[in-house]
Amino acid sequence: MAEETTKKTGSTILRVRRLISLMNENHLSELELEEQDFRIRLVKSVAVPQFRTVPALDIQLPEHSGGTTAKPSEDAAAKAKDEANGFVPIKSPIVGTFYRAPAPDAKVYIQNGSHVEAETVVCIVEAMKVMNELKAECRGTITKICVENGQTVEYGQVLFLVKPD
Amino acid sequence: MFSRILIANRGEIALRVIRTCRRLGIGTVAVYSEADKDSLPLKYADKSICIGPPQPSKSYLNIPNIISAAVVCDVDAIHPGYGFLAENPHFADICRRCQIDFIGPSAEAMKLLGNKAAARELALKLGVPIVPGSSSVLEEDKKALEVAKEIGYPVMIKAAAGGGGRGMRMARNDASLLQFLAAARREAETSFGDPSVYIEKYISRARHIEVQILCDEHGNVIHLGERDCTIQRRHQKLLEESPSIVITDSIRRDLCADAIRLMKAANYTNAGTVEFLYDLDEERYYFIEVNTRIQVEHPVTELRSGLDIVEQQIRIASGEPLVFRQEDIVLSGHAIECRINAEDPISNFAPSPGRITLHSAPMSPDVRVDTHIFSGYTIPTNYDSLLAKLVVHADTREEAVACMRSALDEYIIEGVKTTIPFFKTVMDNANFLSGDYDTNYIDANFHL
Repeated sequence: MAEETTKKTGSTILRVRRLISLMNENHLSELELEEQDFRIRLVKSVAVPQFRTVPALDIQLPEHSGGTTAKPSEDAAAKAKDEANGFVPIKSPIVGTFYRAPAPDAKVYIQNGSHVEAETVVCIVEAMKVMNELKAECRGTITKICVENGQTVEYGQVLFLVKPD
Repeated sequence: MFSRILIANRGEIALRVIRTCRRLGIGTVAVYSEADKDSLPLKYADKSICIGPPQPSKSYLNIPNIISAAVVCDVDAIHPGYGFLAENPHFADICRRCQIDFIGPSAEAMKLLGNKAAARELALKLGVPIVPGSSSVLEEDKKALEVAKEIGYPVMIKAAAGGGGRGMRMARNDASLLQFLAAARREAETSFGDPSVYIEKYISRARHIEVQILCDEHGNVIHLGERDCTIQRRHQKLLEESPSIVITDSIRRDLCADAIRLMKAANYTNAGTVEFLYDLDEERYYFIEVNTRIQVEHPVTELRSGLDIVEQQIRIASGEPLVFRQEDIVLSGHAIECRINAEDPISNFAPSPGRITLHSAPMSPDVRVDTHIFSGYTIPTNYDSLLAKLVVHADTREEAVACMRSALDEYIIEGVKTTIPFFKTVMDNANFLSGDYDTNYIDANFHL
């Protein structure tokens, strides 16, 4: 009797594990399954960014240095390859959080393949509730988006690669 | 207690703070400029964030980027080290407005004591002796001439917003006073953003003696004894020792008591140092300024007291009361620190940048080395030339000197010129050994 219960528990656990894998593979946050003798609801807890309440301070920001020759902090080999291809990096001039769109439900500023001019806004880097719009400051086509939405970025971090016109 | 601290500095002091945080189980975030991307503090910190290009104004003085890094890394507090933003009341204020603790005094205390003229006025009010001179900032040159006549030449013109030996000029007569006042005001405006100047009598045979103070946020103020930092070149300290062997116990008691009174009156909190000049001829001391930060030479006091001043700073800032009273403080033995710089003493201390091909520090129970350099490290050219602080501690001054002599012999730094040979000479210099020196020591004993 005990052995049978153990076996049943074991197979249930295996099933749950499989469902969890399924969720992760397909980027699901919630899954509900109902079968004849089995019903389960799995909810993935998503870390909610805890924003501390900071006053929006009027602080002067340094100029965007998107065209500097300073080295970004990334794999040297990949960087060399990008340079060999003639790709121009768009780098962050400030420390903050990278966003691809002006608001969570708004359209992203640019996609892979978008054409940009010097004045084209490519993204937002938010620093202490101040939404700083970054401009491309070069002409060309976006070939790579190097960071993820919501990622922390530092000074000099490569955000996009541009194939110049 | 804080769970995570951001260190807004670089080099040896950044490493120093990170080490104490690690011992206390506090998480660390290091910020760095592109010139410091291969530096040692980054390897020891839990996280590091690049905040700008090599220029200090765009990186280590870049308040928006530093605060942003602190916010995205969710730190509880910022330790500013020394230099850079450590004595910037605006920065201290911004930290606190962003709900980040600033490990140092309040912006108000910093503003009050950071203005040298205001600090002098406070000392005067309290009856703490000050160097004879103008009672406050000089609005008119006419006043300057009057004061100079009263106190006698030579006089020192000092910038109210200056400090750390910067923004000072000596005038020997009326003509040069008037000439230098204009230049001093211009320089003060450029360097410190404030052209205010004041004058003090120049003391020809002086010792620079400072008192280390700790104040918690519950009204407890104690001192950790004095340091003698007389050996300076162009007003920059090169060697510091504790205790000072020229002052009597009675003077020491009064000095420390006055330092405490001053800090209490200013509502100071956290670590700070009160600096005095001791007139060897008149055998009396005068208050000159307060440094509202941790000092470069703090290891000298740590070795004698057994305390970790960085730890005390962190505990004080997190609201803990001091766990010891003045009578619990025991200062033992004698400590000496030599600041090893990347400078060539033979070429008038010309900076000697480059790559350190070999770094081998002395290892001995009586030796402490605070450094961020290592074999293969390239010294960035954008910052100061301090390579390492070599500190020794022994029962007596004679033994401490012998330890330092030995430590200097063992210390190998190749690839750049350093001031190690200079300190070896000091350790054999009769005037240093007898303790008979004043602030003109280097000019008097070394033909450079």
